[in-house]
Amino acid sequence: MNETVIALQKEAARLLREKIVDVVIGFAEGSVPLRARPVAIRRPEDANELVLNSLCGNNLATYLAHRPAKERIGIVCRGCESRAVRALVIEKQRVRDQLYVIGVPCRGVFDPEKILSEAGEDLLWIREADQRVIAGTPAGDIPIERRKLLHDACRRCRFPNPVGADRVIGEPLAPCDPNEAQDPVDAFAAQDAETRHAFFKAESARCIRCYACREACPMCYCSQCFVDHTTPRWTETAISAAGTQAWHLIRAFHQTGRCVSCGACERACPMHIRMTYLTDQLNRHVANTYGFVVGEDEQQPPPFATFSLDDANRFEG
Amino acid sequence: MNHLQPSGTPAGSPTKRSFKPRIVLFQCRFNHYSTADLQQIENLTTAHVKCIQVPCAGRISPLFILNAVQGGADGIAVSGCRPGVCHFKQGNLGSRRQLAAFRDLLIHVGMAPERLRFVWMDPADRGRLVAEIDALRAAVQNLGPARHLVTRATLPFAMEVN
Repeated sequence: MNETVIALQKEAARLLREKIVDVVIGFAEGSVPLRARPVAIRRPEDANELVLNSLCGNNLATYLAHRPAKERIGIVCRGCESRAVRALVIEKQRVRDQLYVIGVPCRGVFDPEKILSEAGEDLLWIREADQRVIAGTPAGDIPIERRKLLHDACRRCRFPNPVGADRVIGEPLAPCDPNEAQDPVDAFAAQDAETRHAFFKAESARCIRCYACREACPMCYCSQCFVDHTTPRWTETAISAAGTQAWHLIRAFHQTGRCVSCGACERACPMHIRMTYLTDQLNRHVANTYGFVVGEDEQQPPPFATFSLDDANRFEG
Repeated sequence: MNHLQPSGTPAGSPTKRSFKPRIVLFQCRFNHYSTADLQQIENLTTAHVKCIQVPCAGRISPLFILNAVQGGADGIAVSGCRPGVCHFKQGNLGSRRQLAAFRDLLIHVGMAPERLRFVWMDPADRGRLVAEIDALRAAVQNLGPARHLVTRATLPFAMEVN
């Protein structure tokens, strides 16, 4: 166990003991290998359950919007989570004074699929070293380069350090170059329309409409989603081309200028459908048009919650 | 637009010569309210244009547009008031941001940019709408029938029903 986790446990125990918060949301060891499970800790003596490693794939900010309104919450936040917390506070889903953000600079989380493809299906455990990961299999230990296992969203992460944290545990990390972060969506947009459409069609065709992407997303907190709406019925809810394509387009569209690019949707997807190429494009659109980057400012409302006569005149053609 | 129509492969695409672009027009009702203008729009419906009047451009949800795209519209026009002259003061400003982003998203997944046209005009611009529809039709005629993103049984149009 490294010193970050020990400091994290101490801080969580202190917050609960001194009654600064009612509950601390963090990660605990999962019941199966390669998984960590989100946990809500209420008693100081349980704080030693907390862990934080590269298998903690969920975005913890997802749990904020539906917690009881009066609850004071301590939350373990990496870069993306802290930006989601900010966005939720701006959207009035939480009062900032009732949150205690424990910031932890993040080196990225792993894609479980990548671990299995590198180490084989018989994997028993993994252990993180500095730049290497040791995978234990019945055939012996396999060292793997850390970068190879990172989830795509983490590989191009621009904001590894938490923003607006009440306390930061650990040293800040160097962010990725913004241009490099844009590369995947730029490369996708540079393809011709046929190729882009073929990719979109193939990806959305695999969708089984389980809505795991919605449940994993910190910004999808609506009490009634447009796909669950029956009067009027906005889209087909069956697993049809019309239904799945509408789901993927509109889900992404509702994230415009709100998506924190954590990649939790892709990690949650049981069909391994790519989704960030849509949300990244919309985020790039609002960044280029309105200079808006989610989580950058503590006050600025999301781009669709405001408008101005001076917006670039995109009314023509 | 019938939401309850089942999915199906769109009807076989017509040959280029017989192709008549099917155009859906979302029209703010404060944009054209004189009898002459309404008559113009009436005439358009005989030329494969389906006009859907809305109380304000701000009422147009991106889902309306997606529904038209999926239902086989070859071209889509959105007509609202120019910034500053909205009947409800600001309805068009909110929709401007949303629809511009949505158009960007549709283009990102393979729609031809020419198929979705915004016409934002002064209520006094007589005849401009018809000219814009003609320009849209010409552009779409060049592109041929919409194929990408068409996933539903196609929309019934006035001409084809009769």
